[in-house]
This record gives sequence, structure tokens and C-alpha cells, in this order.
Amino acid sequence: MAFNVLIVDDSAAMRSIIVKTLRMSGVPLGEVYQAANGQEGLQAVEENWVDLALVDLNMPTMGGEEMITQLRDNPETSHLPVVVISTESSDTRIATLRDKGAGFIHKPFKPEELREQIILVTGADDESFTTDGNANADSTVSGGGFDF
Amino acid sequence: MPTALYQAAALTFEELGFLFPNEDLEPGQQTAAVDGVVSVDFQGPFNGSLILQVCGDILPTITANMLGEHEVPAIALQHDVLGELGNVVCGNALPLIAGREVVFRLSPPCVLSTAPALENPAAQVQIGLEEGRADVFLFVKE
Repeated sequence: MAFNVLIVDDSAAMRSIIVKTLRMSGVPLGEVYQAANGQEGLQAVEENWVDLALVDLNMPTMGGEEMITQLRDNPETSHLPVVVISTESSDTRIATLRDKGAGFIHKPFKPEELREQIILVTGADDESFTTDGNANADSTVSGGGFDF
Repeated sequence: MPTALYQAAALTFEELGFLFPNEDLEPGQQTAAVDGVVSVDFQGPFNGSLILQVCGDILPTITANMLGEHEVPAIALQHDVLGELGNVVCGNALPLIAGREVVFRLSPPCVLSTAPALENPAAQVQIGLEEGRADVFLFVKE
């Protein structure tokens, strides 16, 4: 089962890098949506079926932390798997994000780190990911309130 | 503090830009002209800004490397990349300087149209990158 992924980062270049890294990580990809800030990200979640959100923290208009708070406050999106991708290094702030159920990756990052966090937040079976980005047959994805 | 700046910048250019840094600059690297400048303001236990200058016409190469492209990327994309480089260098340098237990808030990076005054930084480093270099300056507000 492929993931529909939302990437939220104010840098178009970084969004491209994340898409590329996602493909290298072996995550089975469906649709990929992009947003330049938290507000656009919330709109994308409202308008599309999103299975996973990869979110930067420091963005204009609305940052990633506020976006995650609003996702968690909405019963319809409270269980959406989220991974924060940021330069943030404060243990305090990272712990706050984890308390909101988000995974965390520090920039710069490697494909295997991204894969690991996605498996952690989605509860997906590691064996269902391949190196060519295609899902294995009979793979299942669960966790985060979404059962397929 | 200069060591922290160097470590953060070297890591960023290696892992994002796929360029391997050298500490001792060649003459050509030392005199390379500035490609672009980005400033990142931060607030925390101390406030200030980090300025990153990329020199020697290496910004197109770094951008192409980061995006996995073979063509020379558009200027707008190069500036986007420059902003992200500044963001990542700053975000990695500050915890090396101040420790991981403190919280800094970084403002969005600002690509500058002209080189700013670079007098009396708290720390500065230069990193050789292929035929060019990167200059990193850390300014701390009193």
C-alpha cells in the first residue's frame, strides 16, 4: 500500500530533496503533496487524503509546531503520522514534539534515517519497504489510526 | 566558537552539497568573488545572526548537487538553496556553541542583494570548497 505524503517546508529546494530522499529510502509512494508553510499544509490535509506529513519547523506564516498542534486538536487529523525534519537541536523542543506524537529527523539527513522514522510513526512493516520505492505484495500499513 | 562554525559548515556542505571541504585555502580560493550571501537571525540565550557567503561560482554546482540535476539551476533555485544552507549551518552551529539543552529560534533565512558590513564578528571561518570557498560569520548582539 503506497503512502500519500505531504511535504511542508518553505524551501522549494528542500522539498525536492525530501522527495528524492523518500524515493531512495524505499518508502512506497502514492501522491506527493507540497506546502510552503503550516497554513498551506493544513489546507492540503483538508483537501486531500494524506497518510503521512513531513514537516519543517521554522516557516513564515505558520510554523511546523503550530501546524502539528492544530492537527492534533482536530479529531479528523489527530492521528495523522508526522515526522518533523528540521535543524532544531534543542533536546527540550524535540521532546515537546515527540510528546505530540511526531517523529524527528535532524537536517542534514540520510535516506535510512527517514525510512526509520516513517516506520516508527506509521507502524508500517519494515519488510514492506523496498529499495526501489515499490511496496511488496501483501504488505500492510497500520498505525496512526489508519488501518488498511 | 570558530571550531563549531567550521564543523557545522563542513557537515552541511559535505552532506547536503556533496562537496568536501579543505581548511587550507589555495590562492585562487582566497581571492574568489562572492556568489551570494545569506543572513539568518536567531534569538535565544543570546541573539545575533549568522552570515554565510559562498564564493568562486560554486553555488550553481552546490544547487545542482543537492537537487540531483545536471543542468545549471535557475537563479531563484540557487538562492533558495543558499537560504537553506544558511539555515542548516546556523541550526547546527548554535547547539555546538551553546549546548543542546538551550532553545534557539531561527528566523527564515534572508538572501542579501549586497554584501553586508562584516566588521567585528564574534567568530568567523573560511572553508575551501572545490575552486571556491564559503565564509561563515557569527555576530552576537550585546
